[in-house]
Amino acid sequence: MQDRIQMLKNSMEKADYICNDKTAIVLFLAEALQKPILVEGPAGVGKTAIAQAFSRMKGIPLMRLQCYEGIDESKALYEWNYKRQLLHIQAAVNQDPRQVEEEIFSETFLLSRPLLNSIVVDTPTVLLIDEIDKVDFEFEALLLELLSEFQITIPELGTIKARHIPYVFLTSNASRELSEALKRRCLYLYLDFPSRDMEEQILLLKVPDLPEQLAGKVAGIIRRLRGVEMKKLPSIAESIDWAASLMWLGKDDVDVETLLQTLNTLVKHHEDLEKIERLLHIRQDLEFR
Amino acid sequence: MTVLHNLQGFFAELRREGVLITPSQATDCCQAVMQVDWEREEYFYSALFSTLIKDFAHQETFDQVFQRYFIPGKEHRHPEKENIAPVVYRPEDFIEQISISGGQMAMGNSLSQGGAAQSPGASKNPLDQDFSLDSLADIHKLEAVFPIIARRLAAKMVRKRKHNHMAMIDFRRTIRSSMSSGGVPIDLFTITKSREKPVILTLCDVSGSVMTFSCFSLALIASLERFFRKIDCFAFIDEIDEITRLLTSGNPLDLRTHVLKNAKVVGASGYTDYGMSFKSFHERYRRCLTHKTTVLIFGDARNNWFNDESWVLQEMKKNVRKIFWFNPEPERRWGVGDSRIYEYQKHCTRVFECSTLMSLEKAISQL
Repeated sequence: MQDRIQMLKNSMEKADYICNDKTAIVLFLAEALQKPILVEGPAGVGKTAIAQAFSRMKGIPLMRLQCYEGIDESKALYEWNYKRQLLHIQAAVNQDPRQVEEEIFSETFLLSRPLLNSIVVDTPTVLLIDEIDKVDFEFEALLLELLSEFQITIPELGTIKARHIPYVFLTSNASRELSEALKRRCLYLYLDFPSRDMEEQILLLKVPDLPEQLAGKVAGIIRRLRGVEMKKLPSIAESIDWAASLMWLGKDDVDVETLLQTLNTLVKHHEDLEKIERLLHIRQDLEFR
Repeated sequence: MTVLHNLQGFFAELRREGVLITPSQATDCCQAVMQVDWEREEYFYSALFSTLIKDFAHQETFDQVFQRYFIPGKEHRHPEKENIAPVVYRPEDFIEQISISGGQMAMGNSLSQGGAAQSPGASKNPLDQDFSLDSLADIHKLEAVFPIIARRLAAKMVRKRKHNHMAMIDFRRTIRSSMSSGGVPIDLFTITKSREKPVILTLCDVSGSVMTFSCFSLALIASLERFFRKIDCFAFIDEIDEITRLLTSGNPLDLRTHVLKNAKVVGASGYTDYGMSFKSFHERYRRCLTHKTTVLIFGDARNNWFNDESWVLQEMKKNVRKIFWFNPEPERRWGVGDSRIYEYQKHCTRVFECSTLMSLEKAISQL
């Protein structure tokens, strides 16, 4: 058991994703119980990346549904190709109407969208439903059948069952509360900002040739910087950018001045920027207290 | 003493702490526990956490109960719970007890019963509870009702939108549905402007005199958030501050403390001052108001004899769609003492008396 968790961690690392025990266990359980994972956490902690890495690790395709306000079933599940249906009806004037009707509601005339796609393909897939909190309350209900039974019911066609049960990841920024029904069907994974050591590992993995000592420094500073109250805390992606830019600038150490020069790769909000600059000028150290 | 039994006890304990655990979650949890290595605490913890908890706000509670229940030695238990012996999980017990396939139904049943039994002597319908100070302790009971109220309200608003027949024809949908009738458009579909959710701006008095009420209104606002396009929230005592980002879902009591701690709502005097708060709102945040905005004000309008500055509302009314005031005091006490509600009422679209949760819901549904 312990070996399997460790193995999972190692293979995720090979797919460029470093995860801790907690995350690995949830991944393991999702596979064992065949349940979707609901990933929550602040912006930029690798919620989307975990699905991408998982598909790389398994070597199977990733299908992605980017959610937005106003998305509906014709964009997420399926739609009838009504133009083709019209043409077909016109072309088949002399045929038995009942047969025509049967024909136009066959799979040939069905445009499948990401969710339907993910269950009808011949290979297993990873299905990523990104930013589920952006959708309307009503749309969530559409997902329930898919998430619990891995099937989609099309009134005219019947029920389509998944050939291979996809690995499903749902990500959410918790901008609103999701319905209980949806949550109940998923395993819950909360990704927080990584620990200092983990961030150091991530930096070393993501920025090739980064000196180990610099990675440690960067991770430490970022960690403390996240303790400051800001509108938007620097994410992992931003700390990677920062480490890379430090390396390109040829720095092997970070001081107040370097940070001031490169602060705009880390802090993207005008007010936050002013605040941090003020802190740095007054304190002249990198403790952020 | 078997692990299944203990897990059930653990669920019951969580439920008592207000974490909703459904039978299906419980069965998931048991299955997850079967999959992992129980010997290691962190594996066991993760298996339970990922299947039972679906909201980060519950983590703290979960941790506490987990500590109390599964980690012997560290526990700091209440005396009345003393009869539940601490448990060290032993895999052997577990296998004896569950064969997942057969045991599920029974498990589901007993678990749901456990859930039902946990509301002892709830004689009064929580919806009718008064917003008086002594009901503060009962807030937990009401917490569960908020999402329900919010959902009901949203449903009402959606229904309103659907009855709109004066809209443009949705050509694509109409043609698509006409396919089933051989190209004859039998059903007409119209473009519903379902995306037009109202923009809401709330001003909430969080002073001590309306303590319970403000807890409720804050929690209600927080749970309403998902149904509206935009909600801006402000809180005040004698100074006003924006609190939109502070309103995360959670315990209503904590919500108010959280607001008091993190927002600058107390000014020079520290006594409720509607006039001052309105004035500084006008100075600082007036630009948030648009013709689409509906303003909701929660408070008792007890102004401690300060200037009421009702011209701010007058100004506000010119710019916004509607202003509603929710007053937790019964109507007979309006205008008595330092209550300035009648002065403010002149500039409000409507003032509602909301002394119980029921009346609050009723009032909001009339918007």
